[in-house]
Amino acid sequence: MNLVKIVIKNMRQRALATWLTGASVMLGVALAVAILLIKLGVQQRFEQGTLGYEMVVGAKGSPLQLVLNVVYNLDISLGNISWKLFEQLRNDKRIKLAVPFSVGDNYKGFRIVGTTDAFFKDFEFEPGRKPELAAGRIFNFSEDALKSAFQEAAERAREREAKERGEEVKPAPEPAPVEHPFEAVVGSTVAEQTSLAVGQKFIAAHGVQPSAEAKEHTENPWTVVGILKPTHTAVDRAIYINLDSFYHIEGHELRGPTAPEKSEEKDNDPDPGQVSSIVLKLRSPITAFGLYREINDREDAMAAFPAAEIRKLFDIVGNIDRLLLAQAILILIVAGVAIAVSIYNSMSERRREIAILRALGARRATIFSIVLLEAVTICLFGAAAGLVGGHLVVGLANGALYKASGFVIPAFHIQPLEWYILAVAVILGAVAGLGPAVGAYRTDVAKNLAPTS
Amino acid sequence: MSAILELRGVHKSFRGADGNLIEVIRVKQFALGTGEQTALVGQSGSGKSTLLNLIAGILLPDEGEILVNSTNPTQLSEAARDRFRAANIGYVFQSFNLLQGFTALENVLLGQMFGGGNGGTDRAVQLLNNVGLGHRLHHKPRALSVGEQQRVAIARALVNAPTLVLADEPTGSLDSKNGTAVLELLRRVCTEGKHTLLLVTHDPHVMERFEKVVRLEDLQ
Repeated sequence: MNLVKIVIKNMRQRALATWLTGASVMLGVALAVAILLIKLGVQQRFEQGTLGYEMVVGAKGSPLQLVLNVVYNLDISLGNISWKLFEQLRNDKRIKLAVPFSVGDNYKGFRIVGTTDAFFKDFEFEPGRKPELAAGRIFNFSEDALKSAFQEAAERAREREAKERGEEVKPAPEPAPVEHPFEAVVGSTVAEQTSLAVGQKFIAAHGVQPSAEAKEHTENPWTVVGILKPTHTAVDRAIYINLDSFYHIEGHELRGPTAPEKSEEKDNDPDPGQVSSIVLKLRSPITAFGLYREINDREDAMAAFPAAEIRKLFDIVGNIDRLLLAQAILILIVAGVAIAVSIYNSMSERRREIAILRALGARRATIFSIVLLEAVTICLFGAAAGLVGGHLVVGLANGALYKASGFVIPAFHIQPLEWYILAVAVILGAVAGLGPAVGAYRTDVAKNLAPTS
Repeated sequence: MSAILELRGVHKSFRGADGNLIEVIRVKQFALGTGEQTALVGQSGSGKSTLLNLIAGILLPDEGEILVNSTNPTQLSEAARDRFRAANIGYVFQSFNLLQGFTALENVLLGQMFGGGNGGTDRAVQLLNNVGLGHRLHHKPRALSVGEQQRVAIARALVNAPTLVLADEPTGSLDSKNGTAVLELLRRVCTEGKHTLLLVTHDPHVMERFEKVVRLEDLQ
């Protein structure tokens, strides 16, 4: 017989109260653990997502919106930048790789991204990791076909503008046959959730986000030619098409430049086309800030560092995390109060037991320890169950989470903060047990030993 | 015969509801020798249980000296007094006072735990066998009859081989047959173990079984 055995016996004797109070501690701790894990998962996902994107370039606007748009396929596009800028950057000696992206359509909510074959051949979404095919092949791409598509899109734009001015429209020349008919490579999540397979056709809808009013491009069905392996990045949730076929689609006309250019420059060297954004990989990080300043000094484009923008974003949402954690701590405090109330409520029956133990020779300090240890044990077991439960719940929810958002939380990653939560729970138990323990310490032995009828 | 218990000029008063002191115990002189078995009798509410609590060191006298095994527990610190009580005094209560969440064996082991733990589980089992409960070791109190519960309480009181056993109306909650059996058992085990027994009662049937009967009012 020892103190621990006495404590366990006491807890078993009041099993319902023990379970209920332990469960309330468990809930508080599980919630705190889940919040920590989700925060870690989201942060890791977002930070990891930026690894392959050293610098992104897009139209003037919010750098965070640009990053969310390019790196995570979220939010709407800021507008277009000139193809000429893309060519300048591609030829810049400081830049190792430039990949253009154009967005404007979706399929069942999944963004359709027009790009070049460089995205598959040279782009690394994480260091050393390129998009790999699980089935099929990548789409065909040639820059000549793209330039012809740009011309066709420019013609359509001129025709539309003339119609808007009420001018007589000269019939456009018959479009050249599309060299690479509408081919698409789909991300793993898209394939899984839409059941698209190699060889299947699908109709895209206009707009980067689904809408009931969105026009469907029924005249240009896309054919799936390849399916990508899972990357656990936003790549999984996108459909990639070649830029030339993107500009063959009705409604994807070239629009006016986002900022006026010098007229003589425009006359001498007209802008052949446009893209939504450009992802840059630099030869050396030393050149990054110079290039960043140069691009941002332009009137028609801006550059952003995805990693820096995401850090800023987490500085903002970090406050929300703290609020959620505060809520979890409040639940723990309520659980502590419940433990104190539960032990207080049982004190009338305990006083006799305490008096018996005292009569048998138990010291006041021993009685104090038994009551305190009981509260601490409930908290400790509740907190331990909460730690395990929090990880398990997040682990079980991971499948659904991956389907819904395309990323996985490291459910069984133990964070140092969890040990602090365990320590806080033990301290909470001690604080909750302190009042009842003092009451037990002061129990009048002679009075409580008297026979009850 | 050397004295195991000696009381000299012991007074104990309690403050009543009106604030006045009420004297409950006044003992001029009282002593018990080794192995002696004595019945202390008195009317209900005359202070018999209070006197046992004073001897056990659960209550402290206002005046006087109480010696158990030549030690005055009132001069010890509270913690030392608790240890002294556990090691030297066995206490049997009218309402058994067993812990309901613990088995018969565990209740006896609890007594052993606070008294220094000599003898281990073997001693507790042996005592329960000796009181006829060898087959009920792992039963909780509510699964035992009242007579069996009091026998567990007797085993618990004796587990640390105390020199003095205090019994407060040990048959008060039992029927006549069980009461007689428990009383005989208590007397037998105290005789076998040479424990000094001071039993408090107001039951004439219990008194007549003791050679030495002391009236509380005669001690004043």
